Amino acid sequence: MKEYNILSSRFGRPDGHKLAVYEQEGGYKALRAVLEQNDPAAVRETVKESGLRGRGGAGFPTGVKWGFVPQGAEEVYFFVNADESEPGTFKDRFLLDYDPHQTLEGTIISSFAVQAHLAFIYIRGEFGWLVDRVQAAVDEAYAAGYLGRNILGSGFDLEVIVHKGAGAYICGEETGLINSVEGRKGQPSIKPPFPAVAGFLGKPTIVNNVESVASVPWIITHGPEAYRAFGTEKSPGTKLFSVSGPVKKPGVYEIPLGLPFREFFHDWLGGMVEGEKLKAVIVGGSSVPVLPADEVMNVNLDYESLQQAGTMLGSGGMIVIPESCDMVELIQVLMHFYYDESCGQCTPCREGTGWLHRIVRRLRGGEGTDADLGLLEHVCNGMAGLTICPLADAAVMPMRSFLGKFRPEFEALIQETAAAGAQTRWPRGEQE
Amino acid sequence: MAKLTIDDQEYEFPDGTSLFDACRQARGEALPHFCYHPDLPVAGVCRLCQVEVEGMPKLTIACNTTVRDGMVVHTRSERVNKAVQQVLEMHLINHPVDCPICDQAGECGLQNQYMQYGLYESKVPMAAKVKKHKAKVIGPYVILDQERCVLCSRCVRFCNEVTGTGELGIYNRGDRAELDVAPGVELDNNYSMNTVDICPVGALTSRDFRFAKRVWMLKNTRGVCPGCATGCNVRIDHEGGRVYRLKPVYNPEVNGRWMCDRGRMTYKELHDERRLLRPFAGGREAAWTAASVALADLLRDGGFSLVVVGPRASLEEMFLARKLAPADAVVGGPADLDRGEGDDLLLDGDRTPNRGGLKTLGIPEPAAADLAARITAASGPVLVLGGEPGRDAGVAAALAGCGGLVVIATHDGPSVQAAAVALPGAAWAEQAGVFVNRQGRWQGFAQAVARPGAAREGWRILAELAGLAGVETAPQSLRALRKEIVDTVLSEGELDMDRMPETGFVPGGGER
Repeated sequence: MKEYNILSSRFGRPDGHKLAVYEQEGGYKALRAVLEQNDPAAVRETVKESGLRGRGGAGFPTGVKWGFVPQGAEEVYFFVNADESEPGTFKDRFLLDYDPHQTLEGTIISSFAVQAHLAFIYIRGEFGWLVDRVQAAVDEAYAAGYLGRNILGSGFDLEVIVHKGAGAYICGEETGLINSVEGRKGQPSIKPPFPAVAGFLGKPTIVNNVESVASVPWIITHGPEAYRAFGTEKSPGTKLFSVSGPVKKPGVYEIPLGLPFREFFHDWLGGMVEGEKLKAVIVGGSSVPVLPADEVMNVNLDYESLQQAGTMLGSGGMIVIPESCDMVELIQVLMHFYYDESCGQCTPCREGTGWLHRIVRRLRGGEGTDADLGLLEHVCNGMAGLTICPLADAAVMPMRSFLGKFRPEFEALIQETAAAGAQTRWPRGEQE
Repeated sequence: MAKLTIDDQEYEFPDGTSLFDACRQARGEALPHFCYHPDLPVAGVCRLCQVEVEGMPKLTIACNTTVRDGMVVHTRSERVNKAVQQVLEMHLINHPVDCPICDQAGECGLQNQYMQYGLYESKVPMAAKVKKHKAKVIGPYVILDQERCVLCSRCVRFCNEVTGTGELGIYNRGDRAELDVAPGVELDNNYSMNTVDICPVGALTSRDFRFAKRVWMLKNTRGVCPGCATGCNVRIDHEGGRVYRLKPVYNPEVNGRWMCDRGRMTYKELHDERRLLRPFAGGREAAWTAASVALADLLRDGGFSLVVVGPRASLEEMFLARKLAPADAVVGGPADLDRGEGDDLLLDGDRTPNRGGLKTLGIPEPAAADLAARITAASGPVLVLGGEPGRDAGVAAALAGCGGLVVIATHDGPSVQAAAVALPGAAWAEQAGVFVNRQGRWQGFAQAVARPGAAREGWRILAELAGLAGVETAPQSLRALRKEIVDTVLSEGELDMDRMPETGFVPGGGER
């Protein structure tokens, strides 16, 4: 087991968030180099060559996205998406908590690459302390001349605003995020136009995930080939996985893409805690299809392998599920989440997430019938692929896969509760 | 131009055409939809106008897609129909299905589209539906039922984009999302009832029309709003001699798809208790024959020495009135009456429908004081029609002192009170005619409802008066009268009044 330190070298260090430490360890050198060279196109090209793919979940190549800003656009905005709210995901929070300057340097370089002069770091509302941490880093950067007018004498100007969200999952979707900053209701906009063409205030806007942005300084310093030395051909580089569940060593790990899950599970996570047996894994955040133990043991952790296995890498929010966990209870928690977080704009999602939530609650309440399982599938069919943003799909994917892979648990519950009669069963720790 | 295939047929559309509009033309009917509206920005939220575009992995909504050369589109494939049915089902699962008590029933997007695409059994028991507010008064004219709302956001976009007043919003999230006004805010702009028109379901209904009539019992007649000089095109919805509501009719040259609340309420005056239903002669109700005798007596020594024709008369009435006295003795109502504040949307400061008619015929409009002086100075009988000039106190006083006053009126008022003979005329929805709006546009309207009591068409009354006053050239039919107007006012062959263009007619073809 090797250590990978592109992103995580200062994780866990009490002073890693300080400018002095960051500078001492080579921080802001990439920015100096970029500003000296003064060629935004070259920066875009480097990141494109590195093969860096968006780490927020969709996996779209970052450099390609930057290239969508229309040539000669005069007013461009850059957004760092730190609205990390996918259940199971807590990697961006580590990046900003332990090493805010790395993301900040990435922000400045990325803004330079797309010639944006105003950047927002949009932080999830529940991460109150992170706002202070990032703001302190931004203040330090201003004082050191890395932000503001004429950065390091290069003539490049950039202001950074740390923006605190109000705690809506949907504001992590890039157009929802932009609407939220504009003071509108936090809900996605129809595309086209895409934000790279018409985003914040109708101007070209690039929204990148924290982890994508944080990878940029290393890529600049070491070059695209060095980055491609990690990972696979189509999934280059390293990726943070935030692992929760009863494994011996849960936490945030930086691994090279393509690492076999089996190796990650045994060598890095140390396997399950005593007395627990692996039942299933949600690999990339609650929105991706679940893989049962026997399937997950044969996958590699990269975009392509996981897609082939019928799931997605997503945000890298890995949820390890033990045999002792009731899958119907788990899906009840998830369905309540999507029901609660649907913005309510598109009909299939607005009505569908509520419907799924109520059917599952009914099953758990002992009033389910076998027909309800068919109904769940029917509702999923009426939601998938029919909405503005992927929230409907994000609810459908776990629902369908839970039903598909763990149907006997649903059927057993229906039989068992039919005998016991109706009663309310809240998931552990939750009440409506 | 973009050449594309829709349902196996090739079509050509100008670049930039919305695929929704292209499909509407190709199919001869619109795709299923709630949120799309041609005059509002695209929202793309109802997800009903799904079409299959070859080469695209997912279905796509037509309203947010523009036509592209070489596109191959399917709107009736099994995949599309299935998706539409499923989305429609989502629209209905929390809908209260209270059609029996809903005013929208019969003109409801949910009902119609369910009959076309749905036709399935409900999978949600009534008791399990999400409960929201019903019958919430949100403005002087509009009432909201949140349970019926499909959250298409048309009304929100209307208030944001068309009136710019922004009273409405969608609050909360998920299936708890609901349309509402903010606390302390009322939907009270002068165009609020357009939200009722564009609401595809029964969520926003008119407080005025509520529970008054089932819509399928209504007959429709095309008309012109008499509320101001804009002349919004309307559909008069009526039944059994009673008008129940006015709805705007699309005229891109005049009012687009909207009209104002003030205009919508003008129908109330038709059924007003002050309506003049019988002729009056010598202060007493009289039959038409008795009134004719009194008129003959009054006009024995010659014609009228002054004719006051107001801007509420039709062009036909104005034209005939002009024959009843020498040209310099025919004047309009007081120029300063019926004026108010206009806006830059539709409402005009001139609150009468036909000042354009007076202008067309060259009938001058004196100021109130001048008009009063003319009336006082009149040596013989005076005729008043086409409005109530007596709402100006000075004119009222002059009329009261006038010996031989003849009035054709729809409502009781100062001039009727002062009249030697008062004759009940038809109001705007009760006869055919032409109004000339502020653009100089001639707009024809038809008779919608029966005239109340003994009221008669204005042109017939005027033709009889012409006979009594010894005018020889009075026409014997409305068609003959209209031909004479056209021949007199327009150049030859410029307009066939029987075939008035849908959008109205501007003499000379240009703006005036």
